[in-house]
Amino acid sequence: MKRILSGILCGALITGLFGGCGGETGNVGANAVGTAKNESAADTAEEETQPKGEAQVIRIWHDGDEAIMETIAEEVNSILEDDMVSVQFEKKTGLTDQLQLYGTDEVNGPDMYFYAHDSLGTFAELGILAPITDLITEKDEGYLLPMTVEAGTYQGIQYMLPVYYETLLFIYNQDLWEGEIPDTTDGLYDYMTAHTDTEAGTYAVLNQHSTAYNVAPFINGFGGYIINENAKPGLNDAATIEAITYNQKFAALQADGDYNTINTLFLEQKAAAIIGGPWLISGINEAGIRYGIKSLSEFTLPNGEKLAPYSGIQGVGVLKYAAENKKDAVSKVLLALCDESVGVALAQKANCAPANQQSYADTDVVDNEMIMAMRETAETAQPMPNIPEMSVMWGPTESLLAAVNKSGEDVQTAAETYQKEAETAIADMH
Amino acid sequence: MRSKRKAAPWLHMIPAFLLIGAIIIFPIVYTAYISFTNMNLFHWDDYSFIGLNNYVRALFKVDTGFLSAIGVTLIWTVLNMGIQVALAFFIALGLNARGLKLARFYKTLLMFPWAMPAYVSILLWKVGIYNSEFGLANKLLGLFGIDKINYLSRNVPAFISCMVLNLWMALPFMIMTFDGALQSIDKSYYESAKMDGAGFWVSTLKITVPGVRPVMTPAVIMTTFTTFKQFDIIYLLTQQKGSLSGATLQTVITYAHQNAFVSNNYGLSAAVSMIIFVLIIAFSLFMNRGLKEEA
Repeated sequence: MKRILSGILCGALITGLFGGCGGETGNVGANAVGTAKNESAADTAEEETQPKGEAQVIRIWHDGDEAIMETIAEEVNSILEDDMVSVQFEKKTGLTDQLQLYGTDEVNGPDMYFYAHDSLGTFAELGILAPITDLITEKDEGYLLPMTVEAGTYQGIQYMLPVYYETLLFIYNQDLWEGEIPDTTDGLYDYMTAHTDTEAGTYAVLNQHSTAYNVAPFINGFGGYIINENAKPGLNDAATIEAITYNQKFAALQADGDYNTINTLFLEQKAAAIIGGPWLISGINEAGIRYGIKSLSEFTLPNGEKLAPYSGIQGVGVLKYAAENKKDAVSKVLLALCDESVGVALAQKANCAPANQQSYADTDVVDNEMIMAMRETAETAQPMPNIPEMSVMWGPTESLLAAVNKSGEDVQTAAETYQKEAETAIADMH
Repeated sequence: MRSKRKAAPWLHMIPAFLLIGAIIIFPIVYTAYISFTNMNLFHWDDYSFIGLNNYVRALFKVDTGFLSAIGVTLIWTVLNMGIQVALAFFIALGLNARGLKLARFYKTLLMFPWAMPAYVSILLWKVGIYNSEFGLANKLLGLFGIDKINYLSRNVPAFISCMVLNLWMALPFMIMTFDGALQSIDKSYYESAKMDGAGFWVSTLKITVPGVRPVMTPAVIMTTFTTFKQFDIIYLLTQQKGSLSGATLQTVITYAHQNAFVSNNYGLSAAVSMIIFVLIIAFSLFMNRGLKEEA
């Protein structure tokens, strides 16, 4: 009896052990968003074999806000209702790693993904993406903001269809701010000097002064760069150093620059303004703060240029196998995403700035102060670099900013140190 | 019949071997294999065998940064272990003092930091204690009219801050082990010593220390090992992505992480992993040898 029992248990253990290696079909988890009727992606490998009356499901992996994905899914599915195609969003934490693993796996991988554009070069180099222009025409995307299309293009090939974008904004508390918002960064600094008491813990303007994304408006505005299109780091570039030096005096009046610290200070009304993204708005609303917004591109630097923040473009990419085997359905999804109604819905329900310029004809969009500020910022904003080398630049850049702003190191010396670190990190990629 | 008997234990062990093979041996062998290739972002599917190239590059990284990381790691380990063992010993002695009321309550309280997930503890300390605006440490300084300090922006204060947190997290284990060891010592030894006129220090040195030594040696060796390869505290307090504190503290493990695991170069990362793996195996063999000698 014991032998039989141990035999059964051993068998169960081995089966369980190797069970995990089996193929995964119909991976529709609790995180799936959409109105799919057909739950198995494997069943939809060949669209020609679709039984009549069932919508073909296009699975889209994302790592973002579920509410935003739900808004997109609802809108796209309603547009494609008669085409028997639907989209289904599935949240995957660590999307970059997931796509590295499943990007060539037609059975278990997604048909498309929805993510920020700065990882585009990485995915393109992996060879897992199909050009968007193989699926829709340039005319179909004619209404997209050029800056967003540029962001979705890597080495001359467009791999991503932009849907919406984000930039940093100047958000101020109308009850705390005294007078007009200055139009120059020097004016802003004067206001900060007069209205900041670091010992009392009250501040005029806060910014994540040692985060590359938040200092980029200064770096870009001064004509510097973190990395250029040829993958050359620019931390020791004269203009970058000038920008970091200029930002240093602002940093001294901006607490420790940590996201949680400055956000809490603003929400507790201990700061009159904050430089942050649209993701802060829900918290600001919950805190009952009467806020106003000004575009960063309305601030002029001492060199006469405007602050030029990075923009982060969110959009979809198509996996090669899906482009080959589900071309028709994927094209329809892309066309639906180009529809201005998707942009309007995103603006109305999720405060997102649409990539489609036609969406800005809608009165709700025009009346949205934050979206219009981002629209204005899009004029000077620069898409974050989408080359793979950018992924190793955040570390050295932020180390440089922290060394200068938090540890009081000499800018020139630190810039040389972290330029070398960045060059080594890029060399290590190859 | 005899051969069947001989084979039976091996057959019963097959599932365990398969399990160990799949979750321990296979990843090591696969990592070793990858370490001899140029697998990276630019050679994702078309990677090829490049011999010892990655090892040469990994060892070439033994630069001044690495040497300084070794120095920091050694100082970190020695200081942490020294303070930890001394503090834990005296706290455990206190907990075993005659007539101490609510001793169990104190012991339960002392276990609290150990029971908390490390990630939560570290972030709680980062925000609740060390944060320059809201942290308890600066609030206390403020009561005495002392200016705010950024505890994590420079290397020395950051090192001390990390060490204080490490002690807070690691002390409960050491205290409890000392506590158990102390309770195993026959109380009659102390009574005899007292009758012979021995004071606190003499009893401690001649009875307590030798008495707890057999129990404490393995605990101290194991803790030394975990302290040596500590990563979470230093990384989360000072190097967390998007919230670098300004300090440039590096231990061997954080240095390896920074230099090898952010590049998407799997061949190079695998080579660094294999070198660290060999070092850790050598370190544990050395420790095990120490344990045997102690036994």
